[in-house]
Amino acid sequence: MKLYVKSLSMHLKSMLEYKASFIIAFLSQIMVFFSYYFIILSLFDKFDNIKGFTLYEVLLCFSIIQFGYAFCETFARGIDRFDRLIISGDFDRLLLRPKNIFIQVLSSDADFIKISRLIQALIIMIISLINLNISITPLKVITLFLMIISAIVIFFGIFLLAASYCFITIQGLEVRNLFTDGGKHMAQYPIGVFKKGFLLFFTFVIPYAFVNYYPLLYFIGKSNNVLYAFTPLIVFVYLIPCFLAFKLGMKKYQSVGS
Amino acid sequence: MRFYLSYFKLRFITQLQYRKAALAGIATQFFFGLVYIMVYLAFYESSSNNGPMEVGQLVSYLWLNQAFFALIYMYYKDNEIFNMIKNGNIAYELLRPKKIYFMWFSKIIGQRLADVALRFLPVLIVAFILPYPYGLSLPSSFLSLIMFLITLTIGALLMTAIITLYHVLTLSTLNEKGITNIFMALADILSGGVIPIPFFPVFLQKIANVLPFRYICDLPFRLYSGNISVSDGLFQMLIQVIWFIILVLIGNVILKKILKKVVVQGG
Repeated sequence: MKLYVKSLSMHLKSMLEYKASFIIAFLSQIMVFFSYYFIILSLFDKFDNIKGFTLYEVLLCFSIIQFGYAFCETFARGIDRFDRLIISGDFDRLLLRPKNIFIQVLSSDADFIKISRLIQALIIMIISLINLNISITPLKVITLFLMIISAIVIFFGIFLLAASYCFITIQGLEVRNLFTDGGKHMAQYPIGVFKKGFLLFFTFVIPYAFVNYYPLLYFIGKSNNVLYAFTPLIVFVYLIPCFLAFKLGMKKYQSVGS
Repeated sequence: MRFYLSYFKLRFITQLQYRKAALAGIATQFFFGLVYIMVYLAFYESSSNNGPMEVGQLVSYLWLNQAFFALIYMYYKDNEIFNMIKNGNIAYELLRPKKIYFMWFSKIIGQRLADVALRFLPVLIVAFILPYPYGLSLPSSFLSLIMFLITLTIGALLMTAIITLYHVLTLSTLNEKGITNIFMALADILSGGVIPIPFFPVFLQKIANVLPFRYICDLPFRLYSGNISVSDGLFQMLIQVIWFIILVLIGNVILKKILKKVVVQGG
């Protein structure tokens, strides 16, 4: 863990060497991701609800998912870009070192420009919380906290799965975007607005629904089922097969040579 | 002209090699299409007031948007060109007795067209088969289909002119990130690629209507479904052509100015 923190600060230092370009890239990220929010804002300019969810409820859902994704892109970029480690053969170098391989992969890269999206998501989250008028109870605070954590965990799990896939082949890796980008896009809305098949798939195959749908229902008072508040915990269970897949992949791993 | 055409063909054929990548692209496009359509339909179903577009027209718009994605997506960076600028190899390029602007132009459009050629048909076929309200409808008339094809082609040229322009600008800024990204994000929104322009707040619609970006995808896709009538379309097609000529001219003038004081990086 110390190693990870240390390498994070190294990555940060190296990025801050070019201050002007860091700041410009930082600002441009905010602009680029504004376009996501733009869709929601324009649609709610024309309509007043989506299957009973109001603007700020959707924005809350949206910002939590964005937060989780941006968090993983910033701090788990080494896993996100695992295919590069394999292609370049740098993974072999990491294997030679007497440290935990997993921490090493994690520390191999970090992208602090994506913090701009973290901040943006946080701001939108706060704005929607203020506008939502929710009677805050301790359990609801816990629910919100669990939702945010599970959003991070689920993207971490998907990144891990994609990384394990790299052990088998690095071809057709764009499919990964379907589950990260595509899933993220979809999970920005409360999953209940989609058709049954989608809801089932994203409950049981990739458990997005436990991140932002069932707990959201409890949080905004659409459901009084206290169990819903703890559904984000299921996402942690999802991490186990993801880790196993990575471990299995590593056992089978043969170097690409050179 | 023949030189640029064969350069274009070369790029087109090279890009056609990436068939497996296209397969993943098709799946992605298809998934995104479905997600967007479900979101819009959910909005339509839960609201009593009607949206600014008819459902059938909207769904067709969204499918065309996915099928021809590579022709309308403004975030395109040709890393070969950027690397050439950064490592100084552009010097070789400048030695050739050909116009660098049109070389880049034919390179970019060749790659984009190949991307589309590999992807659009499967997406369109599946979208046609899907049942109402998820399916793509037939064009509203034969004439609107013809207009759609013409404006889509000119739109692709227009898009390439815009993309070539910011590749040219990189010659003087030497940085393809930052400001270029902001510009691309704005252009992407204003072209109607993120969300159809009729859904914009009114003041933004006015802004979008005077800028060139909407002629890339808003015009052809709405012509297809009859949301813009053929007679209106004819006039707008004229504006589209004028924008294309203006942007190519601007690109050439700027390039000339930059090349006068170009400093080749590295050696």
